[in-house]
Amino acid sequence: MLELQSISKSFPGIKALDDVSLRFEKGEIHALVGENGAGKSTAIKIITGIYQPDSGQIVWDSKRLKFHNYKDSIVAGIYIVYQEIQVIPESSIAENIMLDKMITLGKTGIVNWKQVNETAAKYMKMVGLDLPPTTIMRHLSAAHKQLTQIAKALAANAQVLLLDEPTSSLTQHESENLFGILRELKSNGVIIIFVSHKIEEVMALCDCVSVLRDGKHVGTRPVSELSKDDLIKMMIGRECNDEHLGKLDVNLDREMLRAEHIVRYEKARDISFRVFEGEVLGFYGLVGAGRTELARIIIGEDKPDSGAIYIRGEKARINNISDSLYRYKIGYVTENRKEEGLFLKSSVETNITITIWNAIINRITRKISRSKEIAISQDMVGALQVKATSLGQSVEDLSGGNQQKVSIAKWLAADCDVLIIDEPTVGVDVGAKEQIHQLIWDLAQKSRKAVILISSDMREIIKVSNRILVFRDQQIVGELTDVDDPGKTYDETSMAIGRYLA
Amino acid sequence: MENNVIQAPPQKSTSSLPTRMKTGGGFPINGRTIGLIISAVVLGGVLAHKSDTFLLPYTMSVISKQIAFFALLALAQAVCLVVGGMNLSVGAICSITTVTLGVCMANANMSGWEAVPITLTAGCLIGWLNGMLITKLKIDSFIITLSMMFVYMGMRSGISGGIPYALPESFTFIGQEHVLGVPYVFILVVIILVMVAYVFNSTVFGRRLLATGGNEDAAKLSGVNTDQMIVWANILSGLFAALAAVLWASKMGSAAPETGDNWVIVTFAVAIIGGTGLSGGVISAPGIFMGGVIFALIKYGLVEMRINDYWANCVLGGLVLLAIIVDRIRETYDAKMKSAAGRRNERDLAKDKSAA
Repeated sequence: MLELQSISKSFPGIKALDDVSLRFEKGEIHALVGENGAGKSTAIKIITGIYQPDSGQIVWDSKRLKFHNYKDSIVAGIYIVYQEIQVIPESSIAENIMLDKMITLGKTGIVNWKQVNETAAKYMKMVGLDLPPTTIMRHLSAAHKQLTQIAKALAANAQVLLLDEPTSSLTQHESENLFGILRELKSNGVIIIFVSHKIEEVMALCDCVSVLRDGKHVGTRPVSELSKDDLIKMMIGRECNDEHLGKLDVNLDREMLRAEHIVRYEKARDISFRVFEGEVLGFYGLVGAGRTELARIIIGEDKPDSGAIYIRGEKARINNISDSLYRYKIGYVTENRKEEGLFLKSSVETNITITIWNAIINRITRKISRSKEIAISQDMVGALQVKATSLGQSVEDLSGGNQQKVSIAKWLAADCDVLIIDEPTVGVDVGAKEQIHQLIWDLAQKSRKAVILISSDMREIIKVSNRILVFRDQQIVGELTDVDDPGKTYDETSMAIGRYLA
Repeated sequence: MENNVIQAPPQKSTSSLPTRMKTGGGFPINGRTIGLIISAVVLGGVLAHKSDTFLLPYTMSVISKQIAFFALLALAQAVCLVVGGMNLSVGAICSITTVTLGVCMANANMSGWEAVPITLTAGCLIGWLNGMLITKLKIDSFIITLSMMFVYMGMRSGISGGIPYALPESFTFIGQEHVLGVPYVFILVVIILVMVAYVFNSTVFGRRLLATGGNEDAAKLSGVNTDQMIVWANILSGLFAALAAVLWASKMGSAAPETGDNWVIVTFAVAIIGGTGLSGGVISAPGIFMGGVIFALIKYGLVEMRINDYWANCVLGGLVLLAIIVDRIRETYDAKMKSAAGRRNERDLAKDKSAA
């Protein structure tokens, strides 16, 4: 029996786990579920020794375990199969399985390949991997790679097997095959911890389920006693004190952007939607549901296989980002602020004015007007209340929230009509979060922009949007209207979203 | 712009913000360049003290020509470094364009007025080809320019057979003559550096080049056509290399195919000493000039000390390494200072919050 006792873990500005106690019995498949940011990944990382808890302890058969790093947990028999399947692509299956315990000829240090392959084959058989052990990893399908990982765990004599979203890259058939193997391992007394978003899978496979929400343990129940709705309620039902920011005056006569039947292989499956002036349209979904991918198609960074985009009623021909920005006035605030949004070493001023240099040059000397640059960036810094010591300060030195404001300011300076804002509050502290929410709402209500808000934070999206599209597996699976209606409660909306996703 | 203003900032007025612009593109003379100037003055002082010939007008003229060539070649490298790439074929471009010049003037009997524009155009075309290969095939500039270097060197040997082309006497004017004791070559390169400074500091084109090197993804998402910028950087690189080739031929009075064979390392050395960022996004025209000065002075010093030319390369290589190490130390030191300042800020913010 593996037990987490009163585990707490904080990161700057956020309490990721708050006094969480969980018990995993031998011979059970135990699901760990929760929304994005509920604390699942933190829990996994603590079980596998990647993070050390601030308080609380891990107990294994009434013996206290203390992990200092990942390796300690492997020694203890805890093994994780990751979401992004980690393998050495140019090595054989056998080598991947036996990597940390290569069999050598005596003490010569020369690998005894015959024995390595034979031993690996034994474990491969246990997971139903019917391939020659010498097959090069690169040629394997995602499902086979995953089975290799499980075989590796077995070779390491794992007592606890953690699977993090194991079916995300598997087909239906492959998933079922995996479940069969997991059931077999269970009967051999292995503890299996199954982390998943997919409620149907949890209901079909697991014996019991523990729910985390906002870093707290909500409860553990046998799956047989639960309905799907009960489980959704446990995951998302919460006291929510956030008031909606207020009803938006959407101008339904002015359609700003319309997408019709956008299709792109593995990125968008027949997506159609419209967004109007003065509207905040929320795109809710889990990471990888196809929201950012869609945004990149709209701004011309990616080409759709078919489908059309209309801007203000006219068919748009967007070949690249320069088109979407200068011809159609669409701005995209990226989710990867530091990697793609900002020039970290450059000044606040440069980061704000880059989109409008062309508009403020002297026609003859081609010189960018320094005074206009300063005036515009100063306007933006003031309007968005960016806290910087000077316009010349490196963006690198600003806090996360202020960095985000600068990356939004760039598009305001460019006077965009449609703004796509992707995960604006990731890595932003609570106070700045509120400010950014208000800012987004104001953009629609006061500056009359059409805003598309992409977020995996349910509270945020319900608080700011007036309409929400729910994404799953690269398609829109549901639409909620009048989210900003004062009569609508948070619970109503969140349950509706939860049902679309389940 | 009025409709952009979201809301009036409460209480805090933005006019309290100092508007001092931090060197975004890195043009105004910065601390690093001042360091280079001081080093050059010290070096010059030592040379003037130890050497009888250093201060002679003839020596000065020779050194100033060298400075011009070093700076021009460094510029050919720096424009590629600035967009986050590199150009290993700078020397080879000098070589092939020298042959182009030779063929035009010696074989086709063209005048300088015809041959030089053709040669410069050839340099641009070669740079364009490099840039197109890098951006269209999406292959690292290192690989592309390394392989193209051999292609160009093979072409120049094939075309020329390794034999220098004789150039008319009149062609040596720009490379050998002076005005008021200052070589034309030097004046020309200084003008080019001033133009480069202006372009990078004040024009959209220059700042987009800098943005591309600073963060290619962010630049792309800000509406900059980064592929186009990389192609332009390579065109400029080819142009500067071709110009260096023309000036060199004029200085030597003949177009020798082996021109540029050992120049690649010089281009990197001077550019790096001159403060061009190896990871892109930073260039300094005054820095490149001072890099050329220091490089030329050290070379002169090595000759004065009668150090064998073969051994001299050790010293120059060590110098480049030293420049990189010094920059790295500065970076780490800056980062340390910043994180300390950041912690202080956070503490202050926390205090503000608890007070509120």
